[in-house]
Amino acid sequence: MNWKKVALALLLVLVVMTVAACSKETQESPAQTEPKPAPVNEVVEIEFWHAMGGSLGEELNILVDDYNKSQDKVKVTAHYQGSYEELLTKFRTVGGTKNAPAVVQVFEVGTKYMIESGHITPVQDWVDRDNYDLSQLEENILSYYTVDGKLYSMPFNSSTPALFYNKDAFREVGLDPDNPPQTFNEITTIAALLTTSDRYGFSTIGHGWFFEQLLATQGANYVNENNGRTGDATEVLFNGPEGLKIFEWINDMHLAGTYGYFGRSWDDARAAFQAGQVAMYMDSSAATKALVENAPFDVGVTFIPYADDTERHGVIIGGASLWMANGISEAEQAAAWDFMKYLQTPSVQAKWHVNTGYFAINPQAYDDPLVQQEHEKYPQLRVPIDQLQATKKSTATQGALMTVFPEARQYVVTAFENMYQGMDPKAALNEAAELTNRALDIYHRTK
Amino acid sequence: MNEVMEKIERYQVPKKENLWQKTANLRTSILYLSPAIVLFSVFVFYPMFKTVYLSFFLTDARGNAALFVGLENYLYLFDSTSFKKSMKATWLFALYTVPSIVLISFFLALLANEKLRGIGFFRTIFTSTMGMSVAASAVIWLFLFHPTVGVLNTLLGYLGIRPIPWLLDSKWALVSIAITTIWMNIGFSFLIILGGLQNISQDLYESARIDGAGYFYQLFRITIPLLSPTLFFILIITFINSFQSFGQVDILTKGGPAEATNLIVYAIYQDAFINYQFGTASARAVILFFMVLGLTLLQFKFLEKKVHYQ
Repeated sequence: MNWKKVALALLLVLVVMTVAACSKETQESPAQTEPKPAPVNEVVEIEFWHAMGGSLGEELNILVDDYNKSQDKVKVTAHYQGSYEELLTKFRTVGGTKNAPAVVQVFEVGTKYMIESGHITPVQDWVDRDNYDLSQLEENILSYYTVDGKLYSMPFNSSTPALFYNKDAFREVGLDPDNPPQTFNEITTIAALLTTSDRYGFSTIGHGWFFEQLLATQGANYVNENNGRTGDATEVLFNGPEGLKIFEWINDMHLAGTYGYFGRSWDDARAAFQAGQVAMYMDSSAATKALVENAPFDVGVTFIPYADDTERHGVIIGGASLWMANGISEAEQAAAWDFMKYLQTPSVQAKWHVNTGYFAINPQAYDDPLVQQEHEKYPQLRVPIDQLQATKKSTATQGALMTVFPEARQYVVTAFENMYQGMDPKAALNEAAELTNRALDIYHRTK
Repeated sequence: MNEVMEKIERYQVPKKENLWQKTANLRTSILYLSPAIVLFSVFVFYPMFKTVYLSFFLTDARGNAALFVGLENYLYLFDSTSFKKSMKATWLFALYTVPSIVLISFFLALLANEKLRGIGFFRTIFTSTMGMSVAASAVIWLFLFHPTVGVLNTLLGYLGIRPIPWLLDSKWALVSIAITTIWMNIGFSFLIILGGLQNISQDLYESARIDGAGYFYQLFRITIPLLSPTLFFILIITFINSFQSFGQVDILTKGGPAEATNLIVYAIYQDAFINYQFGTASARAVILFFMVLGLTLLQFKFLEKKVHYQ
């Protein structure tokens, strides 16, 4: 059994070499990159919790590193905390204490919860203290996070939905690829033309966000009390005629076999689109660059469809924003504010926009040569920006505020799925409304 | 006579013990048990009582008990269609998975118990799923079931069969999750049953063969009766596992489509950590607890009689 000993020896040598190589690396690199001596006792260290996984997380870490290198007063440590829901659950346990992270990223539907949590300082306080000029930021994005005239959190990663379509499939059936459908009826007609034995004409991702958008673009509110913007919502309105129109529209296509459902996973719907199994579908604008780059065909992007008998009202901002915790010291809050301001500078926004597809919160970023170049290469990136800037400001497009939003989304998705299994559109929608009303009722009783 | 009594009294252990002496045994036993008692109290008993407590309350947006509502959470659940769906799915899931897991692993264990060349290789293969985490196995199956690039549908395509909407149709989704669960749990059951088989004394088979008993006679008269304690154990464990399946549901379907795979544990998770309704979530948990308890008691009452302990 001599060979066994040899193998063992070889393995040992390998392990030792790897360890040596690793330790060498860690010894050398700081010496190369950090020659400047930082005044140790003055550095304020703050934590930043975020929910950006995968490549988005990598991009975010680059921004944080750049910030840390750009000055020597503040050191931000970014911590990935899982999905938006998981992050919020973790924040609940430390919110309001000294252990709370100074900056925390929360998804848009968590806005109302955060305001009521009592664990945050409105960003407006620092805007006023610092005389920060908010007018340099995109108004349509700020309006979502502004409640009672106060900006509560700093917008960060914002996106809207868009309609993505396969231009090659359009040409194949003799349609003009530069003249995509704009209304519900046009989608229905064109989806029928595009459907073949192995391709569906139209699809949406199984997520409540798209229903909210299709409702908003008809100018309809999701809940009462002016979409929860002037008071606490007590009842949902999404099962009104506008909501039913969306359900019936999709149900008609589903029954006609021109609508394909690929589940609740964003990636599965994207995969189906890229594999040519569906010709048109709605997705987040944050996916634009990846889709255009990866699809083996020409990808077209256009505004989301609107109902034929109304005008187009536009879209609600989605994504997440940055919140400032209030249990921490003032120095830490000042550091957090400085970090937020840094993230809003045009050059940082340009980099973030180009590398992820999220909007630039600071529109000056669109004049940055980096962005100009990228927009020339991918003209599709312009469409969501135009769509956002064309949005009419109203409570419908400002987006609904309620604490039980995540729950409402689930009920809406289940209603769609019930409908695909043969339930009557109206009954399915009303069931979702009843369940959401109960959640609202519990919220009011326990407040 | 007096002398004798005196001697007895002298050597007898004094009858009067004080409380301290009386409880000597109890105190020693508690000392030995204390690590377990402390751990169980912190991680099992406290959460259990807290769950029962919360089930009588509505919780606010932060998850604190805010309003005592008595049995409202329970009454709401028994009245709600989504809870009925969830119950039905849970029972169907147990029905799909438990018998299949026990039968398949028993069959594989019988095969692997034969003394053949290279049987060690097969034993390793059959147990290999045990070394995989729920998340990893579920992700593997996620790709097998994938609507666009899934291997299963591609294979069906070669046979000229239309693709099956594994995770997208409410009729198929539960079956798909059951298949995943069966695959995941076979390794463990196989190992335990194989261990049980190897514990059966060879003498019994030898004498049976001398008496001219065939393979199936040996199987039903020797193997199964002597294996019954192991099979009983596996049955109970698999039942409880199937009632507590969570990871594969979370990764494969998230309870959808149309709540067809919203097993009770997943419904608890959704209520508690997505909707922050800890009251109804706790009520569901209490119901689950009594279901599992009742089922285990029933199994002990009816099946244990048939178990042959050596």
